[in-house]
Amino acid sequence: MATQKNSPLRQHHFLLRRLHSLSGIVPIGVFLILHLTTNATILWGVLNSRAGSDMLARRVGTFQEEVSFINGLPALLLIELTLWISLGFHSILGVYYAFSGRPNVREYPYPDNWRYTLQRVSGYVGILFIFYHVATLRWGWSFLVPGGTQWSHNFAASTLAAAMQGSEQGYTVAGIAVSLFYFVGVSLLVYHFANGLWTAAITWGLTISEQAQKRWGFVCAGLGAGMMLLAWASIIGFATLDYDAAAEIEGAMHSETNIPAAAQSHADNTNP
Amino acid sequence: MAHASTIKNFKNTPKPDRTVQFRIKRCDGPGQPSRYESFNVPIESGSNVISCLQYIAANPITVTGQKTTPVVWDAGCLEEICGACTMVINGKVRQSCSCLIDEYAPHEGDVITLEPMSKFPVVRDLWVDRQRLFESLEKVSAWVPIDGSYDLGPGPQETPQQSEMRYTLSTCMSCGCCLEACPQYQKEDDASSWDTSFIGAAPLSQARLFNEHGTGRQLKGARLDALMGPGGINDCGNAQNCVKVCPKEIPLTESIAAVGRAVTIHSFTRFFTGK
Amino acid sequence: MADKRVIIVGGGLAGLAAAIRIAEAGLAVDLFSMVPVKRSHSVCAQGGINACNEVARQQGYSEYQHFDETLYGGDYLADQAPVLEMTNFAPKVIDLLDRMGVPFNRTAEGFRDLRLFGGSLFKRTHFSGATTGQQLLYALDEQVRKLAVQGKINKYEFWEFLWPICTEDTDDKRCIGITAQDMRTMQIRSFRGDAVVMATGGCGLVFGKSTNSIICTGGAASRCYQAGAWYANPEMIQVHPTAIPGADKCRLMSESARGEGGRVWVPRKKGDARQARDIPENERWYFLEEKYPGYGNLVPRDIATREIFDLCVNQDMGVDGQNQVYLDLTHMDPGYLTRKLGGILEIYEKFVGVDPRFEPMKIFPAVHYSMGGMWTQYTPGSYEPSSPHGMHNPFDTSPVDSDIGKGMALGAPNNMQTNIKGLYAFGEVNFAYHGATRLGANALLSCIFDGLYNGVSVANYVNDCEPSKNPAAQFDQNIYDAAVKQEQAKAQKLLNSVSDGPADDATNPYKIGYELGVEITSASTVVKTGKGLSACLDKIHALNDRYQNVRLGDAASWTNQTLSYTRAIGDMLVLAEVIVKGGILREESRGSHYRLDFPDRNDEKFLKTTVVSYQPGSDDPHQVTFRDVDTRFVKPRPRTYGKTDTKNAESTKSDQPETATA
Ligand SMILES: Cc1cc2nc3c(=O)[nH]c(=O)nc-3n(C[C@H](O)[C@H](O)[C@H](O)COP(=O)(O)OP(=O)(O)OC[C@H]3O[C@@H](n4cnc5c(N)ncnc54)[C@H](O)[C@@H]3O)c2cc1C
Ligand code: SF4
Ligand code: SF4
Ligand code: FES
Repeated sequence: MATQKNSPLRQHHFLLRRLHSLSGIVPIGVFLILHLTTNATILWGVLNSRAGSDMLARRVGTFQEEVSFINGLPALLLIELTLWISLGFHSILGVYYAFSGRPNVREYPYPDNWRYTLQRVSGYVGILFIFYHVATLRWGWSFLVPGGTQWSHNFAASTLAAAMQGSEQGYTVAGIAVSLFYFVGVSLLVYHFANGLWTAAITWGLTISEQAQKRWGFVCAGLGAGMMLLAWASIIGFATLDYDAAAEIEGAMHSETNIPAAAQSHADNTNP
Repeated sequence: MAHASTIKNFKNTPKPDRTVQFRIKRCDGPGQPSRYESFNVPIESGSNVISCLQYIAANPITVTGQKTTPVVWDAGCLEEICGACTMVINGKVRQSCSCLIDEYAPHEGDVITLEPMSKFPVVRDLWVDRQRLFESLEKVSAWVPIDGSYDLGPGPQETPQQSEMRYTLSTCMSCGCCLEACPQYQKEDDASSWDTSFIGAAPLSQARLFNEHGTGRQLKGARLDALMGPGGINDCGNAQNCVKVCPKEIPLTESIAAVGRAVTIHSFTRFFTGK
Repeated sequence: MADKRVIIVGGGLAGLAAAIRIAEAGLAVDLFSMVPVKRSHSVCAQGGINACNEVARQQGYSEYQHFDETLYGGDYLADQAPVLEMTNFAPKVIDLLDRMGVPFNRTAEGFRDLRLFGGSLFKRTHFSGATTGQQLLYALDEQVRKLAVQGKINKYEFWEFLWPICTEDTDDKRCIGITAQDMRTMQIRSFRGDAVVMATGGCGLVFGKSTNSIICTGGAASRCYQAGAWYANPEMIQVHPTAIPGADKCRLMSESARGEGGRVWVPRKKGDARQARDIPENERWYFLEEKYPGYGNLVPRDIATREIFDLCVNQDMGVDGQNQVYLDLTHMDPGYLTRKLGGILEIYEKFVGVDPRFEPMKIFPAVHYSMGGMWTQYTPGSYEPSSPHGMHNPFDTSPVDSDIGKGMALGAPNNMQTNIKGLYAFGEVNFAYHGATRLGANALLSCIFDGLYNGVSVANYVNDCEPSKNPAAQFDQNIYDAAVKQEQAKAQKLLNSVSDGPADDATNPYKIGYELGVEITSASTVVKTGKGLSACLDKIHALNDRYQNVRLGDAASWTNQTLSYTRAIGDMLVLAEVIVKGGILREESRGSHYRLDFPDRNDEKFLKTTVVSYQPGSDDPHQVTFRDVDTRFVKPRPRTYGKTDTKNAESTKSDQPETATA
């Protein structure tokens, strides 16, 4: 790597490398697990009997509760800031490191080599995806959303469904593309995390023998598979959600309580 | 002379008395353009890439009838123990002396492509300069720091398990296959970047070897320090190609993990003790 | 004043051990090698390294017994004093290697494990898997790397030694440097050195296919010989009984395979076409065990080789009617075999495609080692028995203790010095230790012993003798420039031949080299005759004539391997003449040298070292004299290894036999 002799990158090489490894697990990986679990409520919300008897209402309602809960968290800004910094750090350094390698799966088509190459590719795609995801849903860059849907905290499920389907009326071609992008992006991120967790154990020296590496590989694969299911569940959930029906349910929730009192009261219940 | 031990029990039943074509990447020297030249070589049973190169050296005529210079290559033991003859054969790095034609190209007219390793500067044709690999061994102090060569009694006693483990690591013949196949290991023409460009699996494994020896352990700190910086252990991307191409089947990824652990512990100790 | 410098040519075990010892003595060392030293031919050695050890000692073995075995094995042709010193010193070599980190195989309790090897009834061979040479070479290489980092050793890798630079004075000729060529840039340079140590290994390539590496041309030794150094016992070439013939070389199956229990056999029935495993025990002929009940499969190599050769070539009893016999390990536990012999079994599997753990190997003899080499001298040590001892038996009290200095005088400046002052020969290129046959696992010992023990002599020579008064640094530059010019002219002459057009079969250097190998292998290896040798000499002369018009196919001034190879062919032809000439004049059979026309040992006439000196310009440039062998310690006795059937011993019918290595 063509770094200057005394560049901080060189001086703190070890620390940076290990922080890079660590930041992928805590906080980014942990957040990813939570985020996927939350989103997947759009499917497994059906189990939440407190949210009424209608299946759709349970799903949309639970998801909306979760969103409102998160929005109501104390020190949300701090949490968000930590995430931003970690993500920025992990991405920038990751890209920089990835550029030092030159994939060669064509000559050496071993499964592990594919794994390595995919880790780089998933990193790049993941960054693009996270950027799009955050820009459209967090910063409200609705010009990037086909149909121009603006995501709303209060109509979390319905607006997300519209954003992913391309319009409030259902699927458009661009919408299918967005849904696919979500599918690919989230899957790659999950892969990136699971594989990263596996290699981190080598990097830090937790797994040394081939058997240990194999065993830990099963654990990581299991975790990855679980997360993959959550991720796909969410995507299927939103991609098949009927905008009007969901918006109606959300509207009803907010008219019962004062916006954003719903979130507030929920937070009060769980956070003594 | 006919000899039955040259009858091979390989999966392929080779066609006897056939001709195999060698497509060889040639280059007259550093900075010179490279080109491919093809040669037809008659195969006898037991032929390997080296015996074919020897044939070409004695008969340097290409398939088009062009007279050319003998191909330059590096070799020594011819039994896959010295590491000299490493090259890229049909796209994959390996030793050419153990590359048996009957196994690799059992049919008439099969083509075998020979190229020099791509991660090291070409000296000429198939001969590359692997000096960097030897300098990496200096970087990790790959030796046991003994007091001198005078008689001071035996070395430290060790269990058969320990000695077998060290033996396995110690069979590394510095051939460079693991470096050639590693996506993180890059060609560096400029010797001044050797120190900061990824060192590769072989020297990492050697660091482990000497850390495992009773006396060699004394330099453990220095070895780990050298491996914590740029180009060290952290630049490994865990592609694990190294372990698959190593002709000596050295458990390189285990070595990498072991050095990873040592470095982790070392850095914590250093942080908390200041040493 | 400039540093005192020592030049070491060769980075095998001998060269590296010498470099370490001489650098430790405070002298600057310039180490030359045609290959990175870590790739030197010593890396090929498989079986192990001999030394007396505690376990054997308590079973009645001793350093002295090791000494006695080595002499007996070598058919008494070795001067006895250096051998005694070497075997006495051997345990120290093992300890040192142990400290350097050689992963010797260990017993369950953690002590160094031992195995049986040829020519001994005691386990006295230390080993590291089946790649002992590799492990020893790496250990020394690592120490040299350390000293190089400290600036004490300068490595010149990919440099080819071309010629020794000597003072003119013929009576008191002194070596003061060398010329060498960078094999990449092709630059030819001179180097000043107060002493020059040749540690350039063997000359297997003269025989075309051998078990040696392809750099073992003997070219360096031949050049020293042509520059005036004497060459001794050239006819003593060891043919190893067990190798796998291949298209490019013969790959060794180490004696350790037999040491660990491998058995050599052929079907009792001629032309038995059954698979080995289908042949019942009583229909297998374990001919070595039968003929030599004591040593069995572990008789010295020349004997095993001749037995196998006789069986295949003369009796036509080879497996499948071919020149091959079984070397069988299949009766042993595969796990045990992997641990002890993994390295060589892998070689067999890789190159033959059969797993020797489950199917017997098929092997045949191949040229392996040169006992002969540059002639060297020594100063005797303190042991002076009134008369030579007879046979030494286990538990006998050794007539002499194993202290340093009994055989040779430690540090005497002339130890292992050639007839040219300041020019030393260590390792396989030194003729000193193995007589007419080398016992297995004694070569690694002699190489390291030379480096460590006689390295002190080199240092003393530089510090106390001529160089201290008149160092190489002060010689006239003209001497060095002239030497460079001479080498440049030789190289240029060869390069100029390119413009004569492409070579034909007669002038192609590779073909000349190939034919040399075929001729000399068939006439001058396992079984020799005066007639065959003379005919061979004529053929070599004819090849030499062709060589005078040799044409190169490459005029490149960068990394020209053809030039290096062709130059070496010229030197190999000279060495070949010496080898054959020595064989012609030694009209007896001794050790590896077996003359069908003189089948018996003749101590009266030939208990003598063949010493050849080069007299260019005269009719026969190779002047042979016979020098008495030092036999002050042990009285030579018949070398039978307890053979039961002496009548049929080593009988051969064919006159012009050939070997599979041809
Ligand atoms: C297959 C095999 C197995 C063996 N197994 C055993 C065993 O088990 N036990 C045992 O005791 N012995 C064994 N031997 C014998 C032993 O390996 C050798 O005799 C010994 O290694 C020779 O070492 P050396 O240092 O003299 O020379 P080498 O190791 O041959 O080194 C020669 C050095 O000289 C250099 N050189 C040569 N020519 C030139 C030149 N012109 N210019 C510059 N440099 C030059 C080379 O580059 C090299 O560095 C075995 C031999 C073979 C072939
Ligand atoms: S595991 Fe590391 S050293 Fe081995 S090939 Fe992958 S990146 Fe290279
Ligand atoms: S570790 Fe294996 S592949 Fe790498 S240099 Fe050593 S022997 Fe070759
Ligand atoms: S020539 Fe030594 S490994 Fe191939």
